[in-house]
Amino acid sequence: MKRSCIAAFATLGFMAAPLLADRPEFNDKEVPQTLDDLREIQSALQKNLERTRAATVCLQIGGSSGSAVIISEDGLVLTAAHVTGKVGAEIDVVMEDGRKLKGKALGLNSETDSAMLQILDEGPFPFVEVDLKDSTKLGDWVFSLGHSGGFDKERGINVRVGRLVREADTTIQSDCMLIGGDSGGPLFNMAGELIGIHSRVGASREESMHVPLREFQAHWDELKKGDFIGSGGFAKKVEPGSGFLGLITEPSDEGGLKVTELWPEGPAEKAGMKVGDRVLEVDGEAATEETLEATLGKIGVGDSLKLKWVSEDKTLEETIKLEKRP
Amino acid sequence: MKLILGLLIITAVITAGNTLPSEKRKMGPLIRETLGPVQVSLQESSAAFYNNETSTSFLYGTVVSEDGLILTKASELDLVKDFYVRVGKKKFRAPKVLASDETWDVALVKIEAEGLKPVKMGPEVDLPHGTWVVSNGAAERRFRRPRPGIISANKREIPRGGGVALGVALKEEKEVVTIGEVTEDSGAEKSGLKKGDEILEIGETKVKNRKVILEALKDRKPGDTVKMKIKREDKELSFEVELMARIDLFGRKKTRNDQLSGGDMQQSERRTGFPMVVQHETMLTRNEVGGPVFTLNHEFVGMNIAAVNRVEAFAIPAEMLPAILKDLQKE
Repeated sequence: MKRSCIAAFATLGFMAAPLLADRPEFNDKEVPQTLDDLREIQSALQKNLERTRAATVCLQIGGSSGSAVIISEDGLVLTAAHVTGKVGAEIDVVMEDGRKLKGKALGLNSETDSAMLQILDEGPFPFVEVDLKDSTKLGDWVFSLGHSGGFDKERGINVRVGRLVREADTTIQSDCMLIGGDSGGPLFNMAGELIGIHSRVGASREESMHVPLREFQAHWDELKKGDFIGSGGFAKKVEPGSGFLGLITEPSDEGGLKVTELWPEGPAEKAGMKVGDRVLEVDGEAATEETLEATLGKIGVGDSLKLKWVSEDKTLEETIKLEKRP
Repeated sequence: MKLILGLLIITAVITAGNTLPSEKRKMGPLIRETLGPVQVSLQESSAAFYNNETSTSFLYGTVVSEDGLILTKASELDLVKDFYVRVGKKKFRAPKVLASDETWDVALVKIEAEGLKPVKMGPEVDLPHGTWVVSNGAAERRFRRPRPGIISANKREIPRGGGVALGVALKEEKEVVTIGEVTEDSGAEKSGLKKGDEILEIGETKVKNRKVILEALKDRKPGDTVKMKIKREDKELSFEVELMARIDLFGRKKTRNDQLSGGDMQQSERRTGFPMVVQHETMLTRNEVGGPVFTLNHEFVGMNIAAVNRVEAFAIPAEMLPAILKDLQKE
């Protein structure tokens, strides 16, 4: 019955994917009745492991790390909003073999913890199929992958098994256990299709929350074009113009901007700037009051800008991180 | 595509708030029943250690001979002075601790018994990721409860935790790194490094900042030595400094993942520094290690040696145990 339903979908041509996985029989038993039922779960998982592991990556941002999964040959990646943190962030993407790629965060949903990222290196990349038809049901067996506690080449990716134990609109819960570093990693059904992204854990060890794929689908275009959605707790929006550099300048006769005052312990002073220095460039553009103001107007607290300046005959260049206005 | 999205939202509303009853979950009693045939192996070849004062179970063991030799986790056994052992339904008083092995954190215990069913140690069992394994779960007096998990990561060595340290506090000023403080009993102290020494080179690398030093220590192991060149009162001196495990030198630092894992009540105190382990995701606490791990086909996988955190458990591989047992019997 189940199979014919799926077949009908396929012939109606709703799906782009050419192949539809059969629903394994063990999913329709209340619990595995025999060891053979458990063995079937094991072999379904193992059949899909190599492919899904190859597409599961570690994301490294500054000192912290999370997980993510590649879903297209050209390197589109799904992860959690609290992992990418902000739209446009530059993030290192590490494959299981240790190969490091460059990535850029696309959009995120701060209310539900979904986010997208694009790998900037040239593909093709290994990728997983996505459960587009939302066919995974409560009680179905699932498995999770992740770089638990960060990248560890010797250990490799962690795999865990469990069942889908609770369903709500924007969250699904499984009893595959999660820990720090797994966030953003993939949850699969036993056909090896992506059904969710690891988000957070509950009080007991068995409560693991994932963002369901349908939540990504609902905001697909916005996420892809780099929108910051909502005002939830999973990511804080950077207010443009909110950043503090800690210097006052005036146009200099010799060109550029002369530093007339520095905020003590402010970002500019910490970068080594001194009163009397002359700023030559802001993010690669000639420094004028207009270019500095325009650049600061586009970015905010936690963002960085690159300054080039002359200090006692030496030309210096530093990337300076903006802080909160004191 | 639009149509499918419409369909999705409807499904989402219908299933909203649906919950699978706990008895049907992975850790629930119904799957425990399904594991009945494997439970037989656990029942025969596990020992359960009980604290005599509190009558609570605090550790499991693995039966390795017909006449009552049992292997268990040494550092956990050390914490209880007065204990008895159960194997199957029988209670054994006055067990003797014969020997223990610091490298593997394994102790050898003897009970007065005969006709026990020991585990079959080795040869190596092929265990691809995702293979079901069964361990001892919560204790019941006469019945060994099975708890399921799967092989979850690569088999490997677990170095002593926290990396290595020289045993010096560093001061950095204008591309000059000096020693601010020397830690007592550290490799630095033993080699003769002193407060105020200016560090010129580590390994073969010139030291301009503390990052160079951290980089030089990154992939090193406790017991390794590192060459250092320093300047002391205009004299250049060379030293060979032994590296020590950070954990031995400064104690353990709690990580966020440790807090997520229930801390000292749940995690084994000794959970790093094993020559080889099999990693599985069976949910164990520190009081549930020491026992055997089996596949669904009754193959002996190994002996649980550490509840690492909420997602990781380590077992000593079965093929390593004969040599460990032999060494312990020599003592």
